[in-house]
Amino acid sequence: MSDPGTLALAAAASVATDLPAGDGLAALAAAGGSADWWVVGEPADWGFVRRNADYLGVGALLTIGLTFASILLGFVVGFPAGAVEVYGDGLLKRAVSTVGIVLRGTPIVVILIVMYFVVGVPQINLGVASISSAMTAGILGLGLRSAAYQSQIFRASLSSVDEGQLEAGRSIGLSRFEAVRYVVVPQALRRSIPGFQNEFTIVLKDTSIVFAIGLAELLTRGYDLFSEQTTAVLEVILFISAIYFVLTFTTNRALDYLGDRYAIPEGESA
Amino acid sequence: MSDDDFLRVTDVSKWYGDEKVLEDVSFEMDRGDVTVLIGPSGSGKSTMLRCVNRLAEAQEGSILLDGEEVLSPDLDVDELRREVGMVFQGFNLFAHLTAVGNVALGPRRVLGLSETAARERAEEQLERVGLADQLDSYPAELSGGQQQRVGIARALAMEPKLMLFDEPTSALDPELIGEVLEVMHGLVEEGMTMLVVTHEMSFAREVADEIVFLDDGRVVERGPPEQLFDRPEEERTGRFLERIASHD
Repeated sequence: MSDPGTLALAAAASVATDLPAGDGLAALAAAGGSADWWVVGEPADWGFVRRNADYLGVGALLTIGLTFASILLGFVVGFPAGAVEVYGDGLLKRAVSTVGIVLRGTPIVVILIVMYFVVGVPQINLGVASISSAMTAGILGLGLRSAAYQSQIFRASLSSVDEGQLEAGRSIGLSRFEAVRYVVVPQALRRSIPGFQNEFTIVLKDTSIVFAIGLAELLTRGYDLFSEQTTAVLEVILFISAIYFVLTFTTNRALDYLGDRYAIPEGESA
Repeated sequence: MSDDDFLRVTDVSKWYGDEKVLEDVSFEMDRGDVTVLIGPSGSGKSTMLRCVNRLAEAQEGSILLDGEEVLSPDLDVDELRREVGMVFQGFNLFAHLTAVGNVALGPRRVLGLSETAARERAEEQLERVGLADQLDSYPAELSGGQQQRVGIARALAMEPKLMLFDEPTSALDPELIGEVLEVMHGLVEEGMTMLVVTHEMSFAREVADEIVFLDDGRVVERGPPEQLFDRPEEERTGRFLERIASHD
């Protein structure tokens, strides 16, 4: 095994064995000095991570903000888009489906650069705070691309609901829109949760690409740090990985809970 | 044929692409009548039934319901379906709603009843089909017979003037058919006007005012059950009834 590989194993072991569980950042940092007799290469430098925790923390907040805003925009745009692909017809359906294909077929870096440099979205002033134009471009780019992917999640789940459900809704006098709204959508949304969990995780990690338009979120800040201090590369990477893990784990568990809470009972017949 | 027929189907034809699935189908019903459509699978009886509430579109002919042309392009189909209940072969219960939720949806969203009034009406209808003890069960938690009874309650909750039954017992295990037929018997006794597609010949014989035998999209023969079952005039009717009987 190569040196970096061994190092990675060693550092991972350090996190797992030498640290009091649940003590977080301070513990991570403190563990550095004492238990480095087994480390191949330089001693672990958790102090460096700790000294730059604020810097990384701001990046983590940016990552979280970008993720939630993009996922939200993706949902608000992607859900109707998926519905149009299933229930719409004519020009609107073709237009929506074409835009989706283009967005899904374009590298995210290109989308972001187009948003920032070509479309040139303005700074948005919210009174208490303002959102920089790079941030706006990032949210728009990530959000619209997520909409293109989410539209396919919802398209699939809407199509998966049995035709007889819509028909039964129509048979009691619901209009087509009402039957979709009250009968199909509630079932389709529940079936979308697993696909949505994937999409959430993907968007979270793809936020790092906003470095292309000058935004320094978690991963970019980490990169900056270990470029500056090459003795702490793994420590920084492990630390930010842990943050990503906590974010994906908690949100996925929250969505699992939502899925269980609203699960449609499928039991043995009584 | 009189002018005051409650439902009058005249020369209804329908094609799926090039295939003619209904050809000049005609029959009529009075208020309170029970008419049973029988025939081999693929004979068009379900399609005929579905033309009456426009779940299928007939291309030719006329269907007058209470004097109103069902096939008119200007007709408000949602309004039509408010007044014509339908029970499906596969139940088609709303999977995400409880029994009460299934039955209350129409009264709540279509008739505009309050949440409480809709629930009350749903409970009444579920009692009517003998499911007072399963109000909050989800479809997947009910037996097939119970599900179909919820399906009937769901249609009844709209207080329809005509009920359509599309092979309501065909998807049921034999031991569950009885409970559904019993509910349907009850409706007959209450005077409900019912158009029924079924293979339950003894039920048809007992309750039908008229039997319409369809084959290949055409009405081969129609008449009161005694006549059609015991003295069929057409050879095809006889052969079909023999085939059915040998499976009973």
